[in-house]
Amino acid sequence: MIEFHLDGRSGVAPYLQLIHQVRHALRLGLLDEGDQLPKVKDVAAGLAINPNTVLKAYRELEYEGLVAARPGIGTFVTRTLGGASLAAHEPLRRELRGWLARARRAGLDDESIEALFLSTFRSAAEEDIA
Amino acid sequence: MTAVLEARGLGKRYRRMWALADCTLSVPAGHVVGLVGPNGAGKTTLLNLAGGLLAPTTGTIEVLGGPPLARLARIGFLAQHAPVYAGLSVADHLAFGAHLNPGWDAGLARSRIERLDLDPGQRAGTLSGGQRAQLALTLAVAKRPDLLILDEPVASLDPLARREFLQELMEAVAGQGLSVVLSSHLVSDLERVCDYLVVLVGSRVRVAGPVDELLATHHLLSGPRRDPDTLPAGQRVISASHTDRQSTLLVHTIDPVLDPAWTVSEVDLEDLVLAYMSQAAAGGRRHLEVQR
Amino acid sequence: MIWLTWRQFRVQAITAAAALAAFAVLLALTGPHLASLYAASGINGCQGTGCEHLASNFLYQLQAGTYWVVYLIGVMIILFVPAVIGLFWGAPMVAREIETGTHHLAWTQSISRTQWLAVKLALIGLAAMAVTEAFSLMQGWWAAPIGRAVGHGGSGPLIAMIQFSPLVFATHGITPLGYAAFAFILGVTAGVLIRRAIPAMAVTLAIFAALQIATPLWIRPHLFPPDRTSVTIDAISDISFNNNTQGVFRIAAGALAGQPDAWILSSGAVNAAGQPVSMAPEACKQALINGSGPSALDCLASHGIRVAVTYQPASRYWALEWTETAIYLALASALAGYCFWRLGRRLS
Repeated sequence: MIEFHLDGRSGVAPYLQLIHQVRHALRLGLLDEGDQLPKVKDVAAGLAINPNTVLKAYRELEYEGLVAARPGIGTFVTRTLGGASLAAHEPLRRELRGWLARARRAGLDDESIEALFLSTFRSAAEEDIA
Repeated sequence: MTAVLEARGLGKRYRRMWALADCTLSVPAGHVVGLVGPNGAGKTTLLNLAGGLLAPTTGTIEVLGGPPLARLARIGFLAQHAPVYAGLSVADHLAFGAHLNPGWDAGLARSRIERLDLDPGQRAGTLSGGQRAQLALTLAVAKRPDLLILDEPVASLDPLARREFLQELMEAVAGQGLSVVLSSHLVSDLERVCDYLVVLVGSRVRVAGPVDELLATHHLLSGPRRDPDTLPAGQRVISASHTDRQSTLLVHTIDPVLDPAWTVSEVDLEDLVLAYMSQAAAGGRRHLEVQR
Repeated sequence: MIWLTWRQFRVQAITAAAALAAFAVLLALTGPHLASLYAASGINGCQGTGCEHLASNFLYQLQAGTYWVVYLIGVMIILFVPAVIGLFWGAPMVAREIETGTHHLAWTQSISRTQWLAVKLALIGLAAMAVTEAFSLMQGWWAAPIGRAVGHGGSGPLIAMIQFSPLVFATHGITPLGYAAFAFILGVTAGVLIRRAIPAMAVTLAIFAALQIATPLWIRPHLFPPDRTSVTIDAISDISFNNNTQGVFRIAAGALAGQPDAWILSSGAVNAAGQPVSMAPEACKQALINGSGPSALDCLASHGIRVAVTYQPASRYWALEWTETAIYLALASALAGYCFWRLGRRLS
């Protein structure tokens, strides 16, 4: 069973952090189909957060089709995000590696690489929406 | 959903000073409600009125649909500084709860005491602040109330005790489906546990509503210097600060802000409360209630 | 609630029980011997004026032992127990809860403040009355021989007083019960109003002491209309007489012959017509100048001077006891009612 943690200073809403952590665990294969998510009561008590926050996160995940709630029993994973799918994208990973190497050779430091990547990523996302 | 706390024009006066004035609130059930405001704002007065310890000077207050004195068995009350009987032991306090409350759940009380590692034979006067708070919380929770009222429960606790107390509180909320109203003068105490907020400044309610909606409808606008009165009608300015060239405004608006001159950013709970506190200091008397 | 009342009252209850036990031991050590002294004194079954002599002998005989000390201890204890109860059982009852903030705990359980107060007042009030009355009954049992001797006209050391004297009246019969109930509820009321224990104790003591002083002086004498009579000078068995060289004199009666334990409220010389008189007739002035004493009194008596006495007869003892107790209980009830009203409304 996975264990949640919260970063109080990240500026990201707690329920979003929980959702991210579940998806992350799914991607890395830490959570499999049929695994049970921690009970709402235990998460709320463990992190000292409002149970409604946990419920909101679990409901969102259910809406995305990743989990399903079984009343009286718990919330269970219904679909993985596949470590498998990551493995299937090995070519993309190698391309990315090459790009990173080129960026370093061009003299960019870590922060610049990150900024370049994020701004491009975001503007591309906006163009997709528009 | 019935309101767990309903106040209409509620006021309380001590001699010539109004500790609470013109308080109108309708707090829905099923939430953890944070009552926040500076010291002396009237938080304790409001909570004592809700718990039946005070009688109103003006207006009415109803808890769980009836007058507080008729709801004693369904309200768990934890006063500031977690008062306990110094000469009585932990076990005596549990007996106290059992004898005075028909709805007492002895098993729940015992299991909490064990989990908290409290020695039943220890005199309550020798407990640490955190342990006293936990004992008082156990007393409030084990009577199986529908509403918990907590007055600054973690104000005098060290960070570890504070975390443990809030953990126990959330466990009780999740396990028993309680509604909670808790007060604090620090927003940081409330951020993680509250999903409904009431801001009390200068004996008056300044804003009340679900945290999600409050955060979604308040924005920080920064841009070239501008007179706040020139903003469109739907945008209410809560607080404003200006330099000679720039204005930073915290506004409440339901609609999105489309004016390209503004840089719009989100606010967090602390900014929001501070803005209302400065509005109160500037003499604003308006009250904003956000309905779901 | 009964459990809570007991649990919070435990220390006071044990203290009271220990005090009662200690007092009982003290009385048990001396009581039987006192009784046997009385039996040997022959006062039982004596007749007429000889009784006075036997009784006084018996009372003076007691000086050989510690009896007067024990008697005095008993009287003092019973006199102070109501005040102690008012201060230590009554004043802190509500004041301490408010002072320490535990009223936030006590009054937010499932019972109402009225219920909380009712159980506490009833149980501790009853205990207050029972403890005080227990002291009084024990003392009454022990001192019965002394009382009977005084009743027969015996006069002893200052401590041997008739049943109407303030110290005796207040510590015998049922008046201690009324005082205890009143002092207790007075303490509780002070605590409700002042909300801090020490000031409440001070106020309780001040008011209770004032009332205890005022009662024998101004209240008790008027509880029943007294009897009035005028008697000849030689019918006064304890007379005090003084005069000056001008012939002005004053007579006061300490006791009436034949009614040794009546309560003299006031007395004074009157002439044959019943009017107060303070100037001696010419014929007696010489006797007065020569010095007061039997000859001067004989002279006055032969001129028709009598003594008018206002008094409560001994038979009225119990009527006065019941009346005074009833008044104190009524005051206690009124204060209790006020406490219920006050606590039911506000607070914190």
